[in-house]
Amino acid sequence: MDAKVPATTLDPVILALTQNRLDHISHQMGWVMVRTARSPIFSQAHDFSCFIAGPTGEVVSQADGIPIHTGSGGFGVRAILRDFGDELADGDVYLLNDPWEAGGNHLPDWVIARPIFVDGQMVGLTCNRAHQSDIGGGAAGAYNPVATDAWSEGVRLPVLKLVEAGKTREDVWKLLMLNTRTPHLQDGDLRAMLGSTRIGMERVAALVDELGVNNAMDYFTGVLDHADRSVRAEIAKLPDGVYEAEDRSDNDCFEIRDVTVRVKLTINGENMKVDFTGTDEQILGFKNSSLGNTYSAIFTALASFLDPHLPHNEGAFRCVDVIAPEGTIINANEGAPTTMCTVFFAHEIIHAVWKALAQADPDRGCAGWAKNVFGISVGKEESGHPYVFYHGAAAAGSGAVDGRDGFNQIGHVCTLGGLTMPNVEVYEQLYPVMFHRQEFRMDAAGSGKYRGGSGCDYEVDIMTPATHSFRGEGLNYETGYGINGGGNGAPGKMHLRHGDGETEEAPKFGLRRTDTVRFVTQSPGGGGYGQPLERDPALVLRDWRDGIISDATMRDVYGVVAAADGKSVDSGATEALRASM
Amino acid sequence: MTITIEAPPWRVGVDVGGTFTDLVVADSEGRTEVFKVPSVPADPGEGVINALTTACEALDQPMEKFLGDCQFFLHGSTVATNTLLEGKGATVGLLTTAGFRDSLEARRGLRKDPWDHRTPYPPVLVPRYLRQPVGGRIDARGNEVEPVNLDDVRASCKVFRDEGVESIAVCLLNSFINTAHEDAVADVLREEGVCDWISVSSDIVPIMGEYERTSTTAVNAYVMPRVASYLTALQQKLIDMGLETKLLMLQSNGGAASLDQLIRQPVNLLLSGPSAGVGAMQHLASGIGENNLVSMEIGGTSCDVMLMHEGRVAITDSLSVNDYDLVTPSVDIHTVGAGGGTIAGIDGAGLMYAGPEGAGARPGPAAYGYGGTRPTVTDAHLVLGRMRPGPYAGGSVSLDMSLAEQALDTEIATPAGISRTEAAAGLIRIVEQNLLHAVERISIQRGYNPGRFMLIACGGAGPMHGASVGRKLGARAVYIPRQAGAFCAIGMQHADVRRDFVHVVMRELNDDAIPAIAEGYDRLRQQALEALKNEGFEEKDTEFGYELDLHYEGQQWDVRVALDPAATPDEIRTAFEVEYDRQFGHTNPESRINVAKLRVVGIGKLPPLEDPKFDAVDEVVTPIETRKVYAESAREFLETSVYQGADLSHGQSVLGPAIIEEATTTILVGPGDRVTVDALNNYTVTFETEE
Repeated sequence: MDAKVPATTLDPVILALTQNRLDHISHQMGWVMVRTARSPIFSQAHDFSCFIAGPTGEVVSQADGIPIHTGSGGFGVRAILRDFGDELADGDVYLLNDPWEAGGNHLPDWVIARPIFVDGQMVGLTCNRAHQSDIGGGAAGAYNPVATDAWSEGVRLPVLKLVEAGKTREDVWKLLMLNTRTPHLQDGDLRAMLGSTRIGMERVAALVDELGVNNAMDYFTGVLDHADRSVRAEIAKLPDGVYEAEDRSDNDCFEIRDVTVRVKLTINGENMKVDFTGTDEQILGFKNSSLGNTYSAIFTALASFLDPHLPHNEGAFRCVDVIAPEGTIINANEGAPTTMCTVFFAHEIIHAVWKALAQADPDRGCAGWAKNVFGISVGKEESGHPYVFYHGAAAAGSGAVDGRDGFNQIGHVCTLGGLTMPNVEVYEQLYPVMFHRQEFRMDAAGSGKYRGGSGCDYEVDIMTPATHSFRGEGLNYETGYGINGGGNGAPGKMHLRHGDGETEEAPKFGLRRTDTVRFVTQSPGGGGYGQPLERDPALVLRDWRDGIISDATMRDVYGVVAAADGKSVDSGATEALRASM
Repeated sequence: MTITIEAPPWRVGVDVGGTFTDLVVADSEGRTEVFKVPSVPADPGEGVINALTTACEALDQPMEKFLGDCQFFLHGSTVATNTLLEGKGATVGLLTTAGFRDSLEARRGLRKDPWDHRTPYPPVLVPRYLRQPVGGRIDARGNEVEPVNLDDVRASCKVFRDEGVESIAVCLLNSFINTAHEDAVADVLREEGVCDWISVSSDIVPIMGEYERTSTTAVNAYVMPRVASYLTALQQKLIDMGLETKLLMLQSNGGAASLDQLIRQPVNLLLSGPSAGVGAMQHLASGIGENNLVSMEIGGTSCDVMLMHEGRVAITDSLSVNDYDLVTPSVDIHTVGAGGGTIAGIDGAGLMYAGPEGAGARPGPAAYGYGGTRPTVTDAHLVLGRMRPGPYAGGSVSLDMSLAEQALDTEIATPAGISRTEAAAGLIRIVEQNLLHAVERISIQRGYNPGRFMLIACGGAGPMHGASVGRKLGARAVYIPRQAGAFCAIGMQHADVRRDFVHVVMRELNDDAIPAIAEGYDRLRQQALEALKNEGFEEKDTEFGYELDLHYEGQQWDVRVALDPAATPDEIRTAFEVEYDRQFGHTNPESRINVAKLRVVGIGKLPPLEDPKFDAVDEVVTPIETRKVYAESAREFLETSVYQGADLSHGQSVLGPAIIEEATTTILVGPGDRVTVDALNNYTVTFETEE
């Protein structure tokens, strides 16, 4: 019973009301953003996050937003306080994106932050981090696959005062509009970000006013302290020890070579240290992670492993100490290209942390989510209209956990599947493409008591000449690792079948121009959880009947024998076979 | 009870809920009477018969006479929903285009809460070995690329027979634009005769998007045999007992349709019941002359919030039931876990919470004495003097104060170091904050300012929170229907027959599109008219609404506008941009607009119920007792008058703090709140002082 008593004199009811209200306000900022932003990415893919920071820059609420945006918002806010601490005034708004100078995560994600004043006192900031449609740089659309430095990726923004005493700085605004290929979208999106933070500011100010400034600050601290206690209690359940793990990519965007994230995770009572010493050096290509992104990836791994309902504010991170050597793939030096890092190396960081946590608590282990293999095809329709086609329907399989098989097809792990797949029919309406197949693979799921996701067989005709940007991270090596005796998922494969009937293996990265072409892809399978021989024979039979596993896999991997009618398990024969294995 | 209704013909509405079955009888003068009996989950029809028996006893009428005098019999049933929730549907076989049989199971990767990755999807309704591929292909423009392979269908029928398939669903790629392949497959299926139940996607839901169309068609196939046999049997039983009219079922779109029209489209019934609140809102809107309303209907486990803007309650296409994704015209309802049985406590790190978990009917609130030990909203109301110990809900349970006190002490007051009263009052504050957030959400997300709406507090538990939430919301007034506890059954009294028809167009909005739009509308109107004629309506009693789903070129979601079917491209563009601007705060004047879908809503008007007239009374009403009740604004127990609802008539009013006990609900108002009975015999709460 005593464990429940918080070391605080705060009223538990008001504390709950304050936390719920803050979360509601950050959701509300998100609704305003969805309703008013210009780019479809916000209303369809929700590639933004809204958060509220307290007066010292600690994020007190981030109820809205995608996982890989969570856990790093405070970096930007603290950069604002560092640069403008004494000058912050009512009616000011700040803008930033640079990972090194201004606490950003990668250049396309811009942060708008608005200080909140009540009774002349700065009580916090409302913030919106949102992915911009274009920020200049060497390629349209913010992703430049051949970038070898940050300057080829887009404009770098320090902490800028965008609005001063309620008046937009037109010179700065023009500078921004000159540095994008899509000023009409960016103009609208920035205004939406301004609007959402203004609504948030008004609501937070009303809340603070209601509670009284000093009292409110105590409750903001109380909200953070509660998150801190919640996570500490979870970490305290893990056995003390040092757990080491790694995850790798097989390429640096220009050549095939291993690049590895190494983590040493130390649990000491209710504290955790995440030490990346020994991680490989940063690479030439755009997958280098910024420090902010690395924090988000760690938070995503930690929260999804421990309890997804833990509060997502910065108090939750107080007990975690991160050691991120500079110049490595997880904390690249100033000027390194980083645009892809929110997907890769976020994926490898999440995997490495999951693997280390699983050593501490195997029951909660998460098998690996296979890395996606799909890129983009860019061409022109008959009418001359350009189109940009994502092969998102080729999504990979996820890993299994105790009690759940892998999702057969799901979005990236950095969004925990939050980015979804399109309908084939919709894509055929929008693009000059025709699909021939999108079906689960056989024998590609990592085996296990709970099996991995199957991945899919994917075939699509691109019916115009097109340039293809390849991002085959999950091709040709196993990326969905198994855990606790579970098997790895099968690697992805990708071929291009040309009009003349010739078939070739698709490259892993880089750009290629082709005439009409068919993509023949097998997306990779997710990892399994636990020993396959412990899988319920009825589930094995179902997978076999469903064509997810072959005769040989049923017999040789799972040790299950079907009855003569093929509709039930031959229990006697299965027991005997399993005993012999 | 005193019965006030007297003159048949009757109009009956029956709403089967999780705990209670509500039956409302209206007479020819529009007077209504509510009868509430416990639901019978094992056989919901038994609950319907029990309710009828209760009504007949009260009216002193033989059943046969009563049913014979029923002009309309409307019914909201959870049978389709429960079939899906309990996994008790049919063995379904699914035919899909070869190469695409997994879209039902892949689900486009949609999950409600990405963080919660450990929760599996609900079981797929058709296992992969019963999802059979059919060769053939229609392309995105509707052209046949490869003829349909009917031998595949015959081969699949062998498998279906062998596997005992009871219901078959068909969903082929691009059938929304060309139904030829699905039609041919359906012909073969009828020829083969594996089973009687066939659901074809282009009949059920002819929309673009194979995942949602397949899922909807599969759910239809899954629930159809059970729903059809259950409702057919119920209708037959009622007819045998004397009913001379057809059963009208409430659909998810808030309108009614006769059972025989729905029997092959039971997917339309998944929101049957809650959707009937629309009828009640529309009736209230016209009665009180106020067409911007938000309703907050609170029951035992949850609160349904609905919004009416300028007389229209939004109908959406998407509905998720137990995480099964459906496209079916549905009243836009936002549900949150806040009801009488909502559980509260202190989490492991010392934070108080209330909901979303609920105690259900069993064990229910601690005070029920059925073994529940965790405090709920009902327990808090008891401790705060807002409810009285002893018999409750028509005597079906008895509330035990000591059990409520014990639950609050053990789970909240002691661990948090606060008093029992603080614990109970805090519990209610947190729940009311959730309610407030739910109302703000449904309005702000859809682009409305919640302060401009009148709040309607309904459901058995709603009027206990209406005044308090209304104040926090800044609402001008809160409206409380006298029969708040039977809001949906009342709503059925005011429902019309409604059928929705949709046609996918997918073309640019310009002068060339107009003939296609006109032709499409004409076809849909014919379909709607035919459906309404089958319901027994003459053309003069029908109305048709015309809607377009439009988007800017390149966008993948639509904005719906209702307008004249003969509108010109310029008028359509203007209407679209007005609505787009309202929702999204900007327009793209340079962008082309695409017409995605046409919709025709066919309404068959049932004769409107008379509004009963109540004469104004100006006597001062006297309370039946006064007792100490906790008032949040005063932070203490205040001497509070308790009134019997039957003592309050049109024109009378009381000033809070007060409690009004009604047959189906209890109304609580705080200090400075005034409750007035209006000409409709309902309650309006206004706020005389700042809190």
